[in-house]
Amino acid sequence: MSRSVLLTWLAATAAALGLTMATLEPLAAQARWDPKTPKLPMARTWGAYKAKMPPYTPPRTPDGVPDLQGTWGGPGGAGGDDIEEHEYVDVTTPPQETFVSDPPDGRIPYTAYGLAQRNAHRAGLSRGWPGESAERLYADPNTYCMVSIGPRGGIGEIIQQPGVVMMVTARTHRVIPTDGRPHPGDRAKFWRGVSRGRWESNTLVIDVRGLNGKHWFDSVGNYHTDNARMVERLTLVDANTIDYELTVEDPTVYSRPWKMNYPVRRAGTGGTDNATGTYNWRATPLVDKDPYAREVWENNCTEGIGVNVRNMHSLGFKWFRGVTPPR
Amino acid sequence: MIAVAAAIVAAAWLGVVAAAAQTTTYTPPRTKDGQPDLQGVWQVLNTAAWDLEDHGASLGVPAGRGVVEGGAIPYQPAALARKQEHARNRAKLDPEVRCGLPGVPRITYMPYPFRIVQQRDKVSFLYEYLGVVRFAYMNGNPHPKGPIEWFMGDSRASWDGNTLVVDVVHFTDQTWLDRAGNFHSELLHVVERYTRTGPDHMLYEATIEDPKVFTRPWKISMPLYRRQERDAELLEYECLSYLLEETWDRPEAFPFR
Repeated sequence: MSRSVLLTWLAATAAALGLTMATLEPLAAQARWDPKTPKLPMARTWGAYKAKMPPYTPPRTPDGVPDLQGTWGGPGGAGGDDIEEHEYVDVTTPPQETFVSDPPDGRIPYTAYGLAQRNAHRAGLSRGWPGESAERLYADPNTYCMVSIGPRGGIGEIIQQPGVVMMVTARTHRVIPTDGRPHPGDRAKFWRGVSRGRWESNTLVIDVRGLNGKHWFDSVGNYHTDNARMVERLTLVDANTIDYELTVEDPTVYSRPWKMNYPVRRAGTGGTDNATGTYNWRATPLVDKDPYAREVWENNCTEGIGVNVRNMHSLGFKWFRGVTPPR
Repeated sequence: MIAVAAAIVAAAWLGVVAAAAQTTTYTPPRTKDGQPDLQGVWQVLNTAAWDLEDHGASLGVPAGRGVVEGGAIPYQPAALARKQEHARNRAKLDPEVRCGLPGVPRITYMPYPFRIVQQRDKVSFLYEYLGVVRFAYMNGNPHPKGPIEWFMGDSRASWDGNTLVVDVVHFTDQTWLDRAGNFHSELLHVVERYTRTGPDHMLYEATIEDPKVFTRPWKISMPLYRRQERDAELLEYECLSYLLEETWDRPEAFPFR
């Protein structure tokens, strides 16, 4: 895990934990994974566990929609280093199951062209990981604190009001209208696109369009283009767990739509558990005694970013402008 | 009532923007928690982002009347010289040109909308600019013990009648107050007051105190306008990514050499 990725991970953690970055020593806090670490759970383990859960009826807000409010963690495991299944890489990157629940093989169903681009991104990272060339191509956009959707995005606090669902982290916010308004025209493109939500039974369904195609799902170059559309589905499956599913569709680089699926836990409710694939971000009793423990303090990701930017620039990395498939 | 009238007369006499005079007896609706409801998408309509004081026009900069009570910011002499140095070298020195978090109160009067969200124990300010989030807690906790240097400071909220009062401390000395080079140190203390003056208007006032830079506390005020478009919403302004995209391949323009 690169330092920038680590910082982002810590930021997401801090947001969920209500901790300040100042209380975390980034390098000291970085987990050092033993090569014998068992594979961390993700989509496969969660899918099997979920199948055995009893049906759950979520509470409703006064206006009658499922109540998802509260503060939520991110996916468990070791973060979004590589959303596909991988073995132990180094002390920062333990073995982990894939985030991909569909197709069943856990691989992103790239077209041949799409896969060649991903592989070029990966080879050009030049970090000394297996399969990388010495030629520098693009740095992971997270190096520059870019916002993200999916495993790297985090949910943070969900606040619901009539006609709107908000997701607020220390770093950023998403304000998702659920009032039926249409998306803007498709020339309006953004890192996380534009979201439109609706309720289907117990599930919040979010349609994301207008993505700019510059975002990576992880640190090894898994990407989508600006032709992509995403659908997020958030369903409470017990009082303290959201089943999060993200469908990605982009016929210009994938041969079929695919899905990621993982649980997110309500902050402070325990449940760190490799057997279920759930992960708790805030279980330390010591922290809970702090009157400020539930507050979310400033996460200025770009503070000191000049050093990162200067380093990547002078090392010869290019700016990733997105993949433009041949017509 | 006499005090209110006197305040209005004094404000008019000091040349404050008409906003202050709008401090009416408007009674805002209440949230479900019983608080005055300030929620919605708001934005300023003035030139304070360029210069808090009266200023003429220049290329790309609209002229504008100042928002400072009394007209001039009460700088200490050395600080005034530094402000003028900032103004001369704005293109290089203004933290905004490198897309840093802009601080408080500057973020309020940048030309981007923001959304106010109220809950029982906090008021959240969600800004389109950089996607900044600022929580003003109302949970009984005082400011955490410093020294802490945050770009957006630490905000604690309370109610003074129908006015939301936000006390902000724990700043860095890395942010400015506008593009004209007005600045502060890490000792900055801001007291913001948000008062609804009508269904679609709110008075914003900020008292600014900094013993290292100014000779006395001073105050700005301006109206905030509710965005009227039916589809008004916050979009994205990820400044740094646009800056890097524009300048990555242009060494003469790249600001991080």
